[in-house]
Amino acid sequence: MDETVESVFTVDLSTGDFKKQEVDSKTVRKFLGGSGVGWKIAADLLEPGIDPLSPENLIIINPGILVGTLTPGTPKTTVITKFPTIATEDNKHFIGSCTSGGRYFGLGLKMAGCHHLVVTGKADSPVYLRVTDGNVEVVDASELWGRGIEEVTNYLVNREGSLAGVMAIGKAGEKLVHLALTIVDKTNSLGRGGLGAVMGSKNLKAIVAKGTGDIKVAKPKEFIDISNELRARVLEWPRREHWIKLGLAAGWSDFKFTQYPGKWPRDKWDELYGEKTRMETVEEVIPCTSCMLSCRLKWKLKGGEFDGEIGFGSPFSKSATSGMLLDIEDYRKMIHLVALGNRDVGIDFYSITRLIDFVTTMYQRGELTKEDTGGMELKRDYETYLDLFNKTVNREGFGDVLADGWMGLRQKSGLNPQDYWYSGICKGVDFIYDARASNFHPLMMTFFTRPRPHHGGSHTRTNSPEKPLEVHRNQVERWGIPKDAVERIFTPTTYSGKFNVGRYTKYMEDMMRVNNALGICVIFTYQALLFGDDAARLYSAATGNNMTAGELAKAGERIHNLSKLVNVREGFTRKEDKVPELWLRPMETPEGKLETMDYYKTKVMAREDFERILDDYYEERGWDIEKGIPTRETLQMLGLEEYLNRL
Amino acid sequence: MENAQLKLRINASKCRGCRSCQLACSFVKHGLFNPFKSYIIVERDVETEHTHPVISEGCDLCGGKPFCAEICPYGTIEVEMVT
Repeated sequence: MDETVESVFTVDLSTGDFKKQEVDSKTVRKFLGGSGVGWKIAADLLEPGIDPLSPENLIIINPGILVGTLTPGTPKTTVITKFPTIATEDNKHFIGSCTSGGRYFGLGLKMAGCHHLVVTGKADSPVYLRVTDGNVEVVDASELWGRGIEEVTNYLVNREGSLAGVMAIGKAGEKLVHLALTIVDKTNSLGRGGLGAVMGSKNLKAIVAKGTGDIKVAKPKEFIDISNELRARVLEWPRREHWIKLGLAAGWSDFKFTQYPGKWPRDKWDELYGEKTRMETVEEVIPCTSCMLSCRLKWKLKGGEFDGEIGFGSPFSKSATSGMLLDIEDYRKMIHLVALGNRDVGIDFYSITRLIDFVTTMYQRGELTKEDTGGMELKRDYETYLDLFNKTVNREGFGDVLADGWMGLRQKSGLNPQDYWYSGICKGVDFIYDARASNFHPLMMTFFTRPRPHHGGSHTRTNSPEKPLEVHRNQVERWGIPKDAVERIFTPTTYSGKFNVGRYTKYMEDMMRVNNALGICVIFTYQALLFGDDAARLYSAATGNNMTAGELAKAGERIHNLSKLVNVREGFTRKEDKVPELWLRPMETPEGKLETMDYYKTKVMAREDFERILDDYYEERGWDIEKGIPTRETLQMLGLEEYLNRL
Repeated sequence: MENAQLKLRINASKCRGCRSCQLACSFVKHGLFNPFKSYIIVERDVETEHTHPVISEGCDLCGGKPFCAEICPYGTIEVEMVT
């Protein structure tokens, strides 16, 4: 049985037309399927230079190949679009992929027989898309426009049935705020950098997906045996018992160090935001489709101004870091902001809270005045933060400036985003983590090498601090990459320490493309529960297209080069792959200075070290080191010659 | 939902709505994944996100080794002797 045929459902919102096409087997094999084929669709159909908020932009939604196959850790859907984030001073925009888990949305698409949902055009008035078996309808959403995400999701599920999956935007997306994202099934956020605004620009409020069709695999017996083997492995994971009680609320003992913003002493942070407050707030821990771990949280605030408030998602680490940055000692106030973001308006909590931290502090320092803020006084108190939050969602007053993100703020107020004191900014986006607290591991590098500056699902064991080298070597070897590549990765250097972060990152990014195509969750690669060779066996049995781990990694490389090409076409080069300036400045904390160090903390990283690591990264990729772009030879080797002329 | 000696017991409060039981059932019965082709319905209250499985008429406990009970990651479905 050949399960490599995939269907593309294309909807033009300008005309209301729907068409269903098949992707030929040869293309699927070349790009694996899932978001791999999604990138080919992007490369073929997205015209260069378009405005991300114009009807010409595409939203390409790709449920993972393994979604709905009962395999632990495979719930993910990947979306590709051109993001409205202003990435550079000359207003370039990156084309990127974003991923999320989900409980019903990816499953609904697969059961409807939809492997790729492509949305183009712009509806005349608010609509939602209804994806059912072999079909997409455009449905009037004028009654839903303006309503909160949770309200809309519940309405659609009650209407369509309990297996219906929903991806929805809130007010922030409707107002084309660059920080707007979408929420999937109420529990998973998707699309930092402005996917919500892209939907808003199309008058697209939501997508509901439900099908009744079968999800099949090519070799059922072989497939279920592998799946069961993984299942047994997960059951034996020593941390599982703790994880299924706390989900993403677990891990405070690590985060207290790796995500520390350095303003308060750690003891104070522990007391106000640590495990005790997490335990008090968690109501339920919710898994994605057929997952054995459960990461998503349902929480309930107890006491205080927001007593009894319930929310869904993952509020703890983000509220803890931003709470410290904003000097808010009552954790419930910060979790309330997470709830506003997830439940109602669909805005990226990280970016909005850090922007608020930046501008309120700069105002207090006199670097922003009432003239800049349109007469608004920016105090350092919760009332002001809430006001700014709401103004940004609604693009009112000074909020209209924040709504265009870090570069928008730079363009309108003259403040330099590189002066912001936490996380680090690249291509107009603040990163989730700060390398001075977390150390310079490969995930931190993907932040500035990836076309879209977000980790994007690349997590490996190197996300956990100072694990033995053998653990990392084992994980890398199981990607099936050539032995000489493994040796180059694990050859120590003076600039990168015991392993070469630049060369490691190249393969990690390739594997990220594989994981996203298959729908594999980062927790499973981060905790080394699912390895590259497992992915190859699952892929082969699911599709009937037999591939070794090494061949899978090579396909990942092909996909990554294609994603880079479309961005080279937008004008991105090495110039934009810059380590954030912040990582070169020490973080002054009450517990001493923190500086960006290598993974094993043998040295403080200097600018020249980052440059040499970046050189190694490009060299390992077979790219032009000076320009940071794929060479003709590499593209030919990967079978991407047809795209050479389109550059 | 019984065979001669065994029955399934549902601990509804443990259900987390992952749908593993439904996917497992349709796989055992039909060699494919489709919750609608399983002998389990998972009721879902979307406001609270509380879920619980209900075994449908026609379930034969897979001839003695119910796959749903084996697969459920959270201990929701258990196999009991009929007394």
